[in-house]
Amino acid sequence: MTQTLALLLDAYRELSAKKLFWMVLMLSGLVVGVFAMLGITPEGVQLAAWNIGDFGGFVNSDNLPPAMFYKALFSGLGIKFWLTWIASILALISTASLIPDFIAGGAIELSLSKPISRLRLFLTKYFSGLLFVALQVTIFSAASFLVIGLRGGEWLPGVFLAIPVVVIFFSYLYSFCALVGLITRSTIAALLLTLLFWVFLFCLNITDQTLIQGRELNAMRSEAIAKQIERMEKSADDQLRRDLVTEKVSMGEPREQAEAEARDATFTSEQRDQTNPKIGQARQDLTDTRENAPAWATAAKAARIAKTFFPKTTETTDLLERVLVEDMNLDAAEEEPDNDAPSWMRLSRADQQRLAQRIEAELRRRSVWWILGTSLGFEALILGFASWVFVRRDF
Amino acid sequence: MTSTSWAIDLTHVEKVYKGKVHALRGIEMRVHAGEVFGLLGPNGAGKSTLVKILMTVISATRADGTMLGRPIGDKHTLSRVGYLPEHHRFPEYLTGGQVLDFFGALSGVPRADCKRRSAELLDLVGMTAWRNHRVKGYSKGMRQRIGIAQALMSDPDLVILDEPTDGVDPVGRRDIRSMVTRLRERGKTVFLNSHLLSELEMVCDRVAILVQGRVASQGTVDDLTRFRQFYEIEVVPTASGAAADLLLSCLPGPAAASLAPVGGGRTATRGMLDASTWVELDGATLRVGTQDPASVAPLIDRVRQSGLTLRALRPVRPSLEDLFMEAVTDPTTGRAKLPGADSAEARP
Repeated sequence: MTQTLALLLDAYRELSAKKLFWMVLMLSGLVVGVFAMLGITPEGVQLAAWNIGDFGGFVNSDNLPPAMFYKALFSGLGIKFWLTWIASILALISTASLIPDFIAGGAIELSLSKPISRLRLFLTKYFSGLLFVALQVTIFSAASFLVIGLRGGEWLPGVFLAIPVVVIFFSYLYSFCALVGLITRSTIAALLLTLLFWVFLFCLNITDQTLIQGRELNAMRSEAIAKQIERMEKSADDQLRRDLVTEKVSMGEPREQAEAEARDATFTSEQRDQTNPKIGQARQDLTDTRENAPAWATAAKAARIAKTFFPKTTETTDLLERVLVEDMNLDAAEEEPDNDAPSWMRLSRADQQRLAQRIEAELRRRSVWWILGTSLGFEALILGFASWVFVRRDF
Repeated sequence: MTSTSWAIDLTHVEKVYKGKVHALRGIEMRVHAGEVFGLLGPNGAGKSTLVKILMTVISATRADGTMLGRPIGDKHTLSRVGYLPEHHRFPEYLTGGQVLDFFGALSGVPRADCKRRSAELLDLVGMTAWRNHRVKGYSKGMRQRIGIAQALMSDPDLVILDEPTDGVDPVGRRDIRSMVTRLRERGKTVFLNSHLLSELEMVCDRVAILVQGRVASQGTVDDLTRFRQFYEIEVVPTASGAAADLLLSCLPGPAAASLAPVGGGRTATRGMLDASTWVELDGATLRVGTQDPASVAPLIDRVRQSGLTLRALRPVRPSLEDLFMEAVTDPTTGRAKLPGADSAEARP
């Protein structure tokens, strides 16, 4: 225990000796300060005394309670933008050198010659590297907790979930950084390859979301065309009935009897297609769309399977949003559906909302265990390999 | 002597890097408990590799032996061993006091003891005034002093110091020597690895010379030098410069006939006086490889009879440096042996 505490204390001293640590902390303070200055009124969003606007009549305290507004700010801007992008990049810059410096000639001999196992030494050093982010996010969350409580009127302990969530998110990247740093002994290589790995994960995530979007859009298009065909067939039936009544009346049949007969009449697809040639085209579109569905489903499934083997950075940070803003935007207005089926090129606002809802629903169907379990599994694998290298290497 | 009286008892230590480079070729070495032991050797002889194996920094291809009675590589033993690596690098963000606290804690020393020990050791190495200054601002000698102090934090039974006087001024070197002596007086074993032979000679009870991954010789400095003692007869050079010829004429016929150049850039010639005694003629000086003064007496008589004036007659015991140079010099070429190993297979 003495040894572990000594290593953790040393890690804190090392981090606090870096100017970047204090710089990120100050910037975090600035971000929370901006949160505190933002307010929401019936007129819209305010920054201190200035009214910024209501963004098309949508963002005001009538639509969005202050607590929800601050939660959304904390989750969407504070966590998803500041902590998981900017602060994480700065944290990587600060911590990428920890392992290469630790194993540098002249330094590692001193640590290895102490009565502490190599495995414990490496893992403690690795976890102490997560201290940077843990300290930053703890301070940020505590400040945000106060802002949401004081300004939003809701005391939300759930904000502190950001600490494990962001630390776990960062640990995916840091494990990779530690492995590269250990193998190459170079801070620059560790940093650059980790950023490249992060970009790869980002691209994998974008591919996954794009394919889900494609699959859902295809399904929406299929549903819309089916409804459109139904409407057009109904319209064609009405036209055919009117024509039938006119024909029977012209042949001397009483109108009431003709109308009664027309009500019971049934028509073939050919008759309907003759009445409205667009129905045939729509049927063809529906067939094409339904034929595309398995390909979209397969591609989306393949992307999901590929993601299973890698850390899910975005989905990990989105977990916080699940907890904090669970009901936001999920009850989007059920507008009258458009007559035209949605396409990639042209989406109505209602379609956009429905599409967003479907994607969101799909992503939320992914269990926490799948997101964290497989990601931590990847991290364990990387750490296991790094530990094996560290334990066996001659320094 | 039982195995427990050895601080280090190596019977066979071997290290082959990547299956090609033979850094150590079966080291056999013993260090008594409570003595100061010096490890000598030219660059690339395998000294650092051996020390790193003892400290578990690198793993041996084969390591038969014990350190403080436990097998080589046993981590628990390291709590009783203090180590100062060569070219060590302390975290520059720490102060001298924090360095001692940190490495003391890593050695398993309780926090309260750490504070007490670090104060004592800072005083011992003359760094008390620098306790709260960051290592970043220390000179090489100051870092070395702090390094020695950290090696002593756990009050170890065995202290391994790799080039402890590197970068230290003469006053500091004297302090370190006196510290080593005090450690020995307190019953500690000190294992010194240094290039400064004269310093080792001053403090070491025993030494081992490592050459090309093997122990070329080991023992007390006295033992190693006694059998290499010789007598030197120096005469006053004659005006005609014929002193060397006259000295040659003083040697018995077979001895004179056996003289041959020693090589290695020296002008001396060497031969055998009898079956076990060598003789060397170097200008106006004659050296006879014997410890027995009686066997030099007949030669002195002949020198006097030849009309030469005797300037000096002295027994000479070689220095550690002489022993070292003898061990690292290739007798056939007279040049220093290549670092690493003695065959082509040793280098990739």
